[in-house]
Amino acid sequence: MTNSAPRDLFPGALEMMILESLRRQPAHGYALVQHIQQRSNNLLQVEEGSLYPALQRLLKARLVKAEWGVSATNRRVRTYQITAAGLRHLEEQISSFEQMFEGIALVLNPGKSTAN
Amino acid sequence: MNWLPNIFRRRALYNDLAEEMRLHLEERTEQLMREGMSRKEAEQAARRAFGNRTVMEERSREVWQWPTLESIWADVRYAVRQLKNSPGFSITVIMSLTLGLGANTTIFTFVNALLLRPPAVAATARLVEVMERNPKSSGIEAYMPFSYPGYVNLRDHNHTLSGFAAFDGDPRTVSWSHDGQGQMVYGQLVSSNFFSVLGVEPSFGRFFQANEDQSGPGAPTAVISHSFWQRQLGSDRSVIGHALVFNGASYTVVGVAPPSFTGILIGSRPDFWTTLAMTPTLIHDPDRMGSDTSYWLFSIGRLKQGVSKNDAQADLSVLTRSIHSSDPHEAIMDASAFPVQLVPSPFRGYVAAFTGLLMAAVGLVLLIACANAANLVLARAIARRRELAVRSALGASRFRIIRQALTESLMLAMMGGAGGLLLAYWSIPALLSLKPATIPVSIEAPLDWRVFSFAFVASILTGLVFGLGAALRSTRRDLLPALKDERQLAGPRRSRLRGSIVIAQITVCLVLLISAGLCVQSLFNARSIDPGFSTHDIAIAHLDPGSLGYTEAQDRQFYLQLLERVRALPGVNAASLSDYLPLGTSRTVHGIHIEGFSPPPELDGIHVQVAYVAPDFFNTMGITVLNGREFSSQDIQSGAGKVVVNQAMATHFWPGRNPIGQHFKDGKESVEIVGVVKTGKYRSLGEDPLDFMYLPLGAQSQEFLVVRTGAGEEAALGEIRGVIQSLDPNVVPMEMESISQYMALPLFAAHTTGVLLAIFGSVALLLATIGLSGVVSYSVSQRTNEIGVRMALGADRLDVVKLILKQGMLLTGIGILCGLVLSFAATRVLSGLLYGIKPGDPATFAAISLFLAAVALVSCYLPARRAASIDPMKSLRTE
Repeated sequence: MTNSAPRDLFPGALEMMILESLRRQPAHGYALVQHIQQRSNNLLQVEEGSLYPALQRLLKARLVKAEWGVSATNRRVRTYQITAAGLRHLEEQISSFEQMFEGIALVLNPGKSTAN
Repeated sequence: MNWLPNIFRRRALYNDLAEEMRLHLEERTEQLMREGMSRKEAEQAARRAFGNRTVMEERSREVWQWPTLESIWADVRYAVRQLKNSPGFSITVIMSLTLGLGANTTIFTFVNALLLRPPAVAATARLVEVMERNPKSSGIEAYMPFSYPGYVNLRDHNHTLSGFAAFDGDPRTVSWSHDGQGQMVYGQLVSSNFFSVLGVEPSFGRFFQANEDQSGPGAPTAVISHSFWQRQLGSDRSVIGHALVFNGASYTVVGVAPPSFTGILIGSRPDFWTTLAMTPTLIHDPDRMGSDTSYWLFSIGRLKQGVSKNDAQADLSVLTRSIHSSDPHEAIMDASAFPVQLVPSPFRGYVAAFTGLLMAAVGLVLLIACANAANLVLARAIARRRELAVRSALGASRFRIIRQALTESLMLAMMGGAGGLLLAYWSIPALLSLKPATIPVSIEAPLDWRVFSFAFVASILTGLVFGLGAALRSTRRDLLPALKDERQLAGPRRSRLRGSIVIAQITVCLVLLISAGLCVQSLFNARSIDPGFSTHDIAIAHLDPGSLGYTEAQDRQFYLQLLERVRALPGVNAASLSDYLPLGTSRTVHGIHIEGFSPPPELDGIHVQVAYVAPDFFNTMGITVLNGREFSSQDIQSGAGKVVVNQAMATHFWPGRNPIGQHFKDGKESVEIVGVVKTGKYRSLGEDPLDFMYLPLGAQSQEFLVVRTGAGEEAALGEIRGVIQSLDPNVVPMEMESISQYMALPLFAAHTTGVLLAIFGSVALLLATIGLSGVVSYSVSQRTNEIGVRMALGADRLDVVKLILKQGMLLTGIGILCGLVLSFAATRVLSGLLYGIKPGDPATFAAISLFLAAVALVSCYLPARRAASIDPMKSLRTE
């Protein structure tokens, strides 16, 4: 395997990260990319553009809403904000993700599970 | 559903998106420039980091699209381009499907007209049709309409119906006198509650008032049909209150029926309705209303709230039995209730069997058309191998390619279906004209929503059937060989599939052709059956001056003058009168007593069918008098009992003796045999010899005038009409026709099946031939190299022709064998329709098989000759 940075981990992962970022504070696309890259210590090399299809999906499902405005740096930006439905969805996703992650971890590291 | 606003918001959404992405890139570029890059470097780096902007934008847009619909639309546009690029292929497929789907749509239109279309009345579900039923009989014979007293009994005493209406089942030919002339129109006698029970509202004016049918012939009223009002009265709204003269009596028009209402039975389209009270005047039968043995009234009831059809049937059965039980001679009858339909339930089985047979035949035609289309699509898929391989190599999924292929098939099928609808639109009037014009029945076969739905669904199914197989087949392969090389890939498996399609076509085609062959022969047989009378040069007029109120003496005078004047017409050889024509729809039976023969215990005598005829009848009709003589005018005037019997009756009761001079009792009256005539056909052309006798015709109002002419039937009919006009312009013949037109009715079923199956058989043959020659041509084009090599190695042209023919004829042979086996089973269904030929007739089977083989040989020979003309040098050089 030469390419060690897959574009997306699993379906929905990018959306989850976007929602999590927006829960902390509303942001526009560029800021979201910056935020995700920083928070992941640049481990997740997301193609910046792939953010937009994900944002459109969230918009369509009404998990976020968008508004044109002017940023602190005086740029015209489209700012995304998480909705109540988005918050609920995020919580569900996180809990199911954690379950899945735990399950995978248990399978991959059987030793640890007995130690628990 | 939020797709609707999305459609309108979409452009705004897309603009936002594009703008947002542009700003993103701008921000990233500026950021990078701040980090020390040049503008150019920064722009490039920003784009790299962003990814393929077009793809991202596309994927973002997809989120908002109605995914299936829009990509299907893309498929459709692609398919249209593909089909436009190969018009020959498209046209051939569409034509095949048009023939197949057109035949199906046409026949379905008739099924719809006869069996599916409901009558134009309100809340049909609450209506029941009621008939008397003899529980001991089975089939159609068990059901009877009501007599008037029987109807009244149920109407007045039932507990389950909110209204019970009756109508005369026969359309009555009525003379409408206007402007000093008579014109033939149709009238129907109905109970006064007829329209209210059916829930029909008048177009304007009113319908009959309650009890108007019991008031007696005081002030006769009529409701006229909307089409009569339009055609004959010029849509004049002031017609209400005016009088129309029908059969000599004056009727006040009280209302006009709505345009949609044309009656409740298929085929009868009355021009006017009047109440049952007018029965004696209108049909000139004073005893009809009081008689409890004349069964003539169809009846329809509206169920009370909360009452089911079965409740009503039980209630009405009890009532019906109660009147019959007082009469020990009557078989016990009860009543049956059916849903109201244009064809009454007891008769539906027969109609369904007939139309079912035709549906099966056109189904087979469609199957052949499908096979043709499948074959062509397969051949084309092979030609497009490279295109498909390129598309798969570029990442199109198998599903995507199959969907694209199916879109093309479905589009072809839809166009075929549209063509089929057009074909049906044109062919339905042609088929309706197969119905003898003289049958007083009009059938409407509209292309309504049911027909359109049928055509649509049939097209879709057809498209799936012929498209799916080919689509699956053409995508199942390795890409590499297809991309590398075209020619070698036509493997044996694919040609085996196409071969079996052709075998199936030949099989189905043979079944259809054999069925058609049997029916056509049967039609010729039926035509050549000797009905016992002459079937040419006879003109017929059916008259009823009694309907104009003639007395018996006037009737006699009228007919005497008529005969005299008609006999004087140029070209007329003979003329006579009778109350009956053989093979007609009515039937009179007498109970007779003959010494030495005892009647069956339940009957009042031996039942023999009888007709009343005037002098010279046998001569006029061409019925051979074998022994003795015709009736003379003396026989008629004296009233002394003379009788003429047919040969079947003579040999039945007086075997080995001279029947002339023998006596027997007709009812109570003693009659003497004065003549014996040749046995003919009386009820149907297929019947076994029946006993039949003729009695002298006295004065009667309803009679058939028969005229033998040497001057041509049509000319004679015109002159006879003139004579009738000159005697009384208000007498309108109920029927005027030549004997050959008259014979169209008994031949109707045989004629229709014969003609239709012959058409379907020819279409099937055409399609199967196209299919076969297509497969053989294709294989020739695939085997060009092989043939070139063979010829280079010394094979001559004949060898090549043989090689190709062998392939085609092998398929044909297998198809014919399968077809023969299937035909033996399939033609059993036809047995009821065939005259003088067995369903498994070996001569027909052999002849049709040979014929099909010969046609197949010709259709293979053309491509074979092309193969033989291949230049070996050329074909090898292309390698």
